Amino acid sequence: MRAVNDSPLIREFVTFGKSETCPIIDMHAHPGPFHGSYLPHASVQGMLHTMERAGVTRIVCCPSEALMADPDMGNAVMQRTIDHHPQFLGYWGVNPNHPDAIRRAIADFEKARGFIGFKLLPDYHTCPVTSDRYTPVLEHADSHRLVNLIHTWGYSAYNSPQMIEQVATKYPDAIFLMGHSGYGDFEAAVRVAAEHPNVYLELTAVYVAHDFGMFPTGSGTPVPIGSCLQVNGVIEHMVEHATSRKIVFGTDLPWYSPHYAAGAVLFARIDDEARRDILHGNAQRLLENSVVSPGSL
Amino acid sequence: MIAGPEFFDCNCSYGVTAIPALRYAKTVSELRDEMSWCGIGRALVRHASQRYESPVLWNERAIADIKGHSGLFPCWAILPPQTGEQLTTAEFLESARSLGVKALWAFPQEHRYCLDSLTLGDLLEELSARRIPLFVKDNAINIYNVMREFPNLTAIAVNQGPHSLERYLRPMLDRYPNLHLDTAYYIVDGLIEEFCDRYGPERLLFGSGFPDNCSGGALLRLLHADITDDARAAVAGGNLQRLLDEADL
Repeated sequence: MRAVNDSPLIREFVTFGKSETCPIIDMHAHPGPFHGSYLPHASVQGMLHTMERAGVTRIVCCPSEALMADPDMGNAVMQRTIDHHPQFLGYWGVNPNHPDAIRRAIADFEKARGFIGFKLLPDYHTCPVTSDRYTPVLEHADSHRLVNLIHTWGYSAYNSPQMIEQVATKYPDAIFLMGHSGYGDFEAAVRVAAEHPNVYLELTAVYVAHDFGMFPTGSGTPVPIGSCLQVNGVIEHMVEHATSRKIVFGTDLPWYSPHYAAGAVLFARIDDEARRDILHGNAQRLLENSVVSPGSL
Repeated sequence: MIAGPEFFDCNCSYGVTAIPALRYAKTVSELRDEMSWCGIGRALVRHASQRYESPVLWNERAIADIKGHSGLFPCWAILPPQTGEQLTTAEFLESARSLGVKALWAFPQEHRYCLDSLTLGDLLEELSARRIPLFVKDNAINIYNVMREFPNLTAIAVNQGPHSLERYLRPMLDRYPNLHLDTAYYIVDGLIEEFCDRYGPERLLFGSGFPDNCSGGALLRLLHADITDDARAAVAGGNLQRLLDEADL
């Protein structure tokens, strides 16, 4: 391959596939198989293999099992993974369609080890993120300054960037990572992240266009979500308007290859300082300042 | 210089469209700049309007734009002949040959037709016989329909992702050895490696997906795929070159 540009960080990743000075922190992952997609590296061992090759030293996860099946069993699986693998931290999976689990979530979270906050998946649970059903966990997240990952999608009736803005305003001490950065309505997501100190843009899927017309059964969500046929330049737009300090890296691993995702960040027309913020620095700062579930203390 | 395979991109475009990416290449020269930034040497190129607008206008305009740019090779998009928008099969292929077209694309969803024997039988038979590559952007069920009717067609199913669609694709890949994939949306972790293990690397082609996607994503993914260097070189560019060499166009 010809020499490309003068970025030392790009050269390091191109040559070695990873960086010693910029290890990746992945803030969005879902260990385990998924009903709608075959995932070759769904196991924790498969994920660890990939993480080693791409220099991912820390990953924050919520198992698909906790979100798409039994929250109690899925969160227990996450606990065992955290206990055996120091690279892993967790989000406590919350499903408002299981009121008992929601009521127990706070007590269970308090007893758990290595969880930094809650994971909400409103598009898949068909419950708006602004619903009162989430109130107990969001109040707890606010009072303990937890880092929470919320699935977002542009123009969704369940988790649009505008709805995240309402929640972030109501709970100003909780940290909200907008999973997928309000995919398809990036302009709104960037504005919300720029205007609210407690809101961050999370990059999972942002680096690849989604054309659900290519999927014979559509988006796979209970209510169809929108396509976005062009995403090149979104990362540059985020850096310009929300700053590189408000963006964190994610892959949905074992879904998207961290090399693919990192390549999109690295080859974006931004500088190395911004690349380092996104791949490592911002997440490192969030984790250093986060309150890990007290069971680990 | 950084060592690595020579990249020959099978899936990229330039040009102004109604809903452009936030960063895209307005001209062929800007596309070359993007390729240089990423270290991609050669590409099969189309104007974005060959997909999003009518090939009647944009097939020939792409030829004019790309002419004189070494390492860039034009493609044409196909349409059904029944409406009279496209020449007869013989005329169309002769025109393509004379203008240096190296491969064809089908966009059945955008251009609203069925890629089947009823609609394009003559052309698909000719492409099969002459091993002319047809890049098809359509969903897996429609890909299956065309492969079932034309198993000898040299077809490249593009944009098959970003979710894993393996449960659709593998039965077809198992049955039809002339079916290929590109890497632009083949981004679920481990799929490139399993493809090469199961089928060998010969039927996988590097595609960046630019400007819908950032070129660097597919590039870094392939550079560090857990496959042999020979397989990497084949996917990066060798396979596409072989397909073009084999085509009677």
